[in-house]
Amino acid sequence: MGGAGEDWAGALARVEGRAYWRAVGELLGDPAFALASARERPLLDGDDGGDPASHAAALVPGGLSRRDFLRLMGASLALAGAGGCLEPPRERILPYTRRPQDVTPGGARWYATAFPLDGYGTGLLVESHEGRPTKVEGNPLHPASLGAAGAYEQASVLQLYDPQRARTPRRTRGAAAWAAFVREFAPAPVGGGFAAGGAGLHLLLEPTSSPLTASLLGRLRAAYPRAGVTFYAPLASAAPDDATRLLFGRPAQPQYDFSTAAVVVALDADFLSGMPFHLRYAHDWAARRRPASPGSGMSRLYAAEGAFTPTGAVADHRLRVRPSRIAGVAVALLAELLREPGALPAGAPADLAAAAARARAALDAGGAAQDDAAARGWLSGVAHDLLRTPGRSIVIVGERQPAVVHAIAHALNALLGNVGRTVRYTVPPLAEALEAAGPPVPLPALVERLRAGAVDTLFILEANPVYDAPADLDFRSALGRVRRSVCLGLYENETAAACDWFVPTLHYLERWGDVRAWDGTASVIQPLIRPLYDGRSADDVLAALLGLTGARTYDLLREIWRKRAGPADFEPFWEDALRRGAIAGTEAAPLDLRPAWGALAALLARVAGDRRARAAALTPGPPVGSDGTTGRGEPEDGGEPRAPAAADLELVFVRDASVYDGRFANNAWLQELPDPLTKLTWDNAAVVSPRTAARLGLEAGRLVRLGLRGRELIAPVFVLPGQADGLVALALGYGREGAEAVARGVGLNAYRLRTSDAPYFAAGATLEPLPGRYPLATTQAHWTMAGRPIVLSATLAEYRADPEFTAPHRGPVTALYDPFGYERGDQWTMAIDLTACIGCGACVVACQAENNSPVVGKEGVRKSREMHWLRIDRYFLGSADEPGVAFQPMLCQHCEKAPCEYVCPVNATVHSPDGLNEMVYNRCIGTRFCSNNCPYKVRRFNWLDYNADKAETLEMAMNPDVTVRARGVMEKCTFCVQRIRRAQQAAAVEGRALRPGEVRTACQQACPTQAIWFGSDTAPDEELARRLRDPRRYAVLHELGTRPRVHYLARITNPSDAGEAAAPAPAGGQPLPAGPGSAGPGSAGQPPPSPPPRPGAGQRAGEA
Amino acid sequence: MAAAAAAPGPDALLRTAAGDAELTDRLLAPLWSRARAWWIAFAVTGAGTLLFGIAIAYTVIAGIGVWGNNIPVAWAYAITNFVWWIGIGHAGTFISAFLLLLQQRWRASVNRIAEAMTLFALVQAALFPVLHLGRPWFAYWLIPYPATMEVWPQFRSALPWDFAAILTYFTVSLLFWYAGLVPDLAAARDRAPTRARRLVYGLFALGWRGAARHWQEYRIAYGLLAGLATPLVISVHSIVSMDFATSQLPGWHSTIFPPYFVAGALYSGFAMVVTLLVPLRRIFHLEDVITTRHLDSIGKMMLAMGWMLIYAYVVEAFLAWYRGDVFERYALLVSRPTGPYAWIYWIMLACNCITPQLLWSRRLRTSPLVLLAAALLIQVGMWTERFIIIVTSLNRDFLPSSWHIYAPTWVDWSLLAGSVSFFLLLFLLFLRFVPFIPIGEVKHLRHELAQEEVAWRGEQ
Repeated sequence: MGGAGEDWAGALARVEGRAYWRAVGELLGDPAFALASARERPLLDGDDGGDPASHAAALVPGGLSRRDFLRLMGASLALAGAGGCLEPPRERILPYTRRPQDVTPGGARWYATAFPLDGYGTGLLVESHEGRPTKVEGNPLHPASLGAAGAYEQASVLQLYDPQRARTPRRTRGAAAWAAFVREFAPAPVGGGFAAGGAGLHLLLEPTSSPLTASLLGRLRAAYPRAGVTFYAPLASAAPDDATRLLFGRPAQPQYDFSTAAVVVALDADFLSGMPFHLRYAHDWAARRRPASPGSGMSRLYAAEGAFTPTGAVADHRLRVRPSRIAGVAVALLAELLREPGALPAGAPADLAAAAARARAALDAGGAAQDDAAARGWLSGVAHDLLRTPGRSIVIVGERQPAVVHAIAHALNALLGNVGRTVRYTVPPLAEALEAAGPPVPLPALVERLRAGAVDTLFILEANPVYDAPADLDFRSALGRVRRSVCLGLYENETAAACDWFVPTLHYLERWGDVRAWDGTASVIQPLIRPLYDGRSADDVLAALLGLTGARTYDLLREIWRKRAGPADFEPFWEDALRRGAIAGTEAAPLDLRPAWGALAALLARVAGDRRARAAALTPGPPVGSDGTTGRGEPEDGGEPRAPAAADLELVFVRDASVYDGRFANNAWLQELPDPLTKLTWDNAAVVSPRTAARLGLEAGRLVRLGLRGRELIAPVFVLPGQADGLVALALGYGREGAEAVARGVGLNAYRLRTSDAPYFAAGATLEPLPGRYPLATTQAHWTMAGRPIVLSATLAEYRADPEFTAPHRGPVTALYDPFGYERGDQWTMAIDLTACIGCGACVVACQAENNSPVVGKEGVRKSREMHWLRIDRYFLGSADEPGVAFQPMLCQHCEKAPCEYVCPVNATVHSPDGLNEMVYNRCIGTRFCSNNCPYKVRRFNWLDYNADKAETLEMAMNPDVTVRARGVMEKCTFCVQRIRRAQQAAAVEGRALRPGEVRTACQQACPTQAIWFGSDTAPDEELARRLRDPRRYAVLHELGTRPRVHYLARITNPSDAGEAAAPAPAGGQPLPAGPGSAGPGSAGQPPPSPPPRPGAGQRAGEA
Repeated sequence: MAAAAAAPGPDALLRTAAGDAELTDRLLAPLWSRARAWWIAFAVTGAGTLLFGIAIAYTVIAGIGVWGNNIPVAWAYAITNFVWWIGIGHAGTFISAFLLLLQQRWRASVNRIAEAMTLFALVQAALFPVLHLGRPWFAYWLIPYPATMEVWPQFRSALPWDFAAILTYFTVSLLFWYAGLVPDLAAARDRAPTRARRLVYGLFALGWRGAARHWQEYRIAYGLLAGLATPLVISVHSIVSMDFATSQLPGWHSTIFPPYFVAGALYSGFAMVVTLLVPLRRIFHLEDVITTRHLDSIGKMMLAMGWMLIYAYVVEAFLAWYRGDVFERYALLVSRPTGPYAWIYWIMLACNCITPQLLWSRRLRTSPLVLLAAALLIQVGMWTERFIIIVTSLNRDFLPSSWHIYAPTWVDWSLLAGSVSFFLLLFLLFLRFVPFIPIGEVKHLRHELAQEEVAWRGEQ
């Protein structure tokens, strides 16, 4: 002891000035203290930058000294006393003892970023709470968004926090560090690099518009000139580029302006919900579709399509036609227009009209054109309207159509004088990367190279070809021939399982990057959160291959943009780019293009030519990545469009509204998002028309063996009115087999039937009914309105004749008691324009993300327990063959005389002075009487504990402003009360009143067509005031006297009189069945629900 | 009826027993018996009760998602069972109190059984509304207790009234039953073979000695309780019907519901009395105590109630048509007869409307087997009626977009089967431990009848 005392004295004597020491051990320079403090540090400081392995080593209690032992014992005792029976928390907490400058605890912040999909970006504003993104909203300054955000964008937050995301890199089976990856692939001297010139090196990635990726690819090509690059996206097609190359001599991207188009003709084109830039298209289209008054005009939409899409659903005249016959329709339309005197454009060969007529006749003879009255009527209506509106129309073609149809559409637009007005051409945003990467290797060529052993190392960056490559390529076996395969992916998916190396990729909310929108506008992708796992972006991998290991992607990105910003000061430019989310002046360069009419005539001659030439011209192009420039191989037998045999079926592969091409399959929000038309969740199915189903003796849920060219798939059938007869529509993206637990085993894999020569649609499908049945989960089991005034509709002409047709469904209702006086303060109200609703479902996911709504799974949906506060009701009108469709967003109506309120025995649902029907979760005991008495059935009940055992990361996705509901309580739409209160608080702090339009609900914000509008009744903004005055306004179930605060504006369609004369009478077809019959097993297996009374042919006033 | 009761005929059987003591011994005999059949029945119902317990525990632990309920059919089996049991619980008090006030003497030998049935049915009925709550542990929030937060139940809702009505009814029924039981418990005490039993019966007999003063006060108390219980027979099911009638759901929103529900309740209640009495009468050879005249009277009651119900059905359908409301027309005239639950609807009509027509015939009415069969059919019919009212109104209401089918799960079925088992188990215990024929009243009636006969003979 004495010795120790001397040590102290000595040590203290050596201390100079104001030196602080924490413990005697430190003062004495005791090595045991150093060790102990090193052990503690990781717990306090976190593992910033250190090697995890060395940390782990430091934490292992190697030899414990007596002193350490006593210290630990003391600490244990103290903890035992302090902690009591509670387990001490293991998580690190971040107490803001010194608050970061720009963070207000509890306050939300918004950052601009962009969501990339198949190479095109949508600008977003992302809400962030204390450093974690919780909600995605559209960026009003971004041309692809204009403030709206679709379902994929909305649900991407959940994907970020998906607990099944891959977390660490691995090599074969064992975990591997990124450093090892760099050592293996970076060029010398850092790593092993590749053979000289990069022979045997190949990259497979999605098409990209990113200037950063393009520059990295360019540098890679410079470093490894012999390396190959393949761009592949299963839903993208080379046909559009082929068409412009053919007609204009160069790839060009059409840019449509729907806001000035009076007539739109969509040929198999779901431009409102299924194409890049669809949010913008929907916005612009809807701007011409909301009749502000009976006098205002509306644009007219013609659609020809096989499978039902939202675009077809809102079309004024829809032609049901198989995808293979769209070419016939296009040719016929061209011939029709060229027949007009003086229609021949300058510079066109004189026999163009004759060529078109010949092509039309050839297709008619071949049975490829519609020969029935419906098609003729539709065509003459279109032709009439197009000629009436020169320069104010758009002909748009869906990506999956062959190049000839695209070419005809371009020719039609030129012919009608639309080019330069409603249609412009620009350089394709994808061109930069394509050029940088050198001559692209199509996917089939890549597979050949793989089989030939010509590829030594294959990098698959954020693509999943083992799952989604055409089945005839058998990508999986080809991949086995490669010496080294590397996969970069968000999940350990099918491709990851087949690759040697796997590196988790970064979610777009975690990484830096850039992306261009369809119109070329560039945005910086800025991260909202530090990477959750040990992942790298595709740009990081490319940089590593280049040996740019020292540079961060952030620096590379800034470097690119520093060059592009020009001589101006870079920092303000950069800050502006980040802040606005869209870089001004980066739109794609416009092109002034004139169609080569001779090329078109030649094309038409091919169509009119012999069978073989015609087949080659009309076969849909292979996907992007296939060789689009050279002539492709002869189609196998069956590729030839021909007159349908009795059992001849055509199969069309469609983009899924929920899972896209399969990449979102692990997103439970999207899986549970009902398809706009079928309302199917958690599955895909072989969708057929009622007539086809009847012919083949099928009903919904029946299993069939679906065959195409020797390949087979067992699939359940779903019957959807309005689909083309003889057509089987099958959504891609299901039947996943990767490690993603949500996606695994959901639906069936349509890629197994998809071959590279017929990737979009193919004739010669067979359908053989099997004895079994398969349960499908739909959220809406009934199809008609049963003759009730629910969605009121009228044609524009009818509306003009009787503007007050909704009058019986609004205004005061006789009641015993006077209504409660809601006149003081803001009175919240919503106006939904049913004319604008396209049923896309963006609002449904937005609501789910904003309000922490749980998913219930397929069984839950089958039991009708889905928790969506907002649903989109879809009703068919008219006959089952040619149905009209009405979409109706249905949410809590916030009735002033709410039937739910007076039946609650415990006052758990009450009314606020500002007109909200409020739900007090912690008072609710769950009698469900409120739901029984709700005529709109918008209340949702927590039947089970849906929020139990939530993964930690999923907890981070929750909106902290909204309660996560417990089991056994009722919930429903709150009109986003948290947003109202936040705005009110902000206004109170600033000592002002709320500004009109200051509060926007999540659904309103997401809606691309602005169908939903919200605000205060007493201080409305201009738009709300206009809608509340609109003569179309009505209340659903008005006669019940509930006085809803949600007002609907009746649905107005704009069919042409000429078209109407020719269109088939709606009542002529098959009657609508009551529903798909998949409503669940009836009580002890009773027959499916019998059809309710059919609505009449007239659609006036909801057929009441 | 009094005159009929005095007439010689099957009633004479009441007088066959040798004397009061012998009659008492006979009626108390089941309490001391060790029948194997009882144990078998106990085991079966015990197993069913165990299933009930398991289903309840599962429901409470996992949540009512284990049932088949959904949105729109937020109420189904639990509320169906609740209304069904409450209905069954009506006949007991009706027989005991209503008929006592009306001095219907034929009630004497059956009223104890009917009262016990009422109590046990109410126990089942009371379980379901609590179980069906999303958070059953907060069921007490329905009670207007002075909470510190000053939150009260909402009195505009029918449910707190429902809760109060059931509680009142149960309390009064229990008191009424127990008050009537006291003299017989004393008799059991006096004849109990073991000291333990003497002690227990003695405890519950409250020192009854059969003194004249006891009888006098007993009569007053019993009469008062009967007066108190009688209006409850009407009120309870009226209030239960308000759960539906105050809503605006087509098929529920109807002013005919209170009388309709009361009639239906008595209908099923009498059916349950028959279901219990007929086997009991046979097993314990009580044909001379529970006479065919009893069966005859109950049969007539069932016929009358059946017709009231038929009237209600007709009025309901007619008004749905006459009112011209599309939703109501659809619910009552399309959805019920032709919808997904149509087969249940037609079973209901067959059981409830056709079955009672058998009872026009006196021969069939007094045949125990026919009556039992009719009673069972009526039980089924009344259960399906509640199911039809609740589920078909909910599963297709205003907006077709939300229409959805309901299918019960094994838990739903277990709760129904379990509650029947539990009911029967309680009833078995009652037979085993409580004098199930009111001995005092039977003896009283016997003396009355004897005197009347003497008087009648004197007149001859």
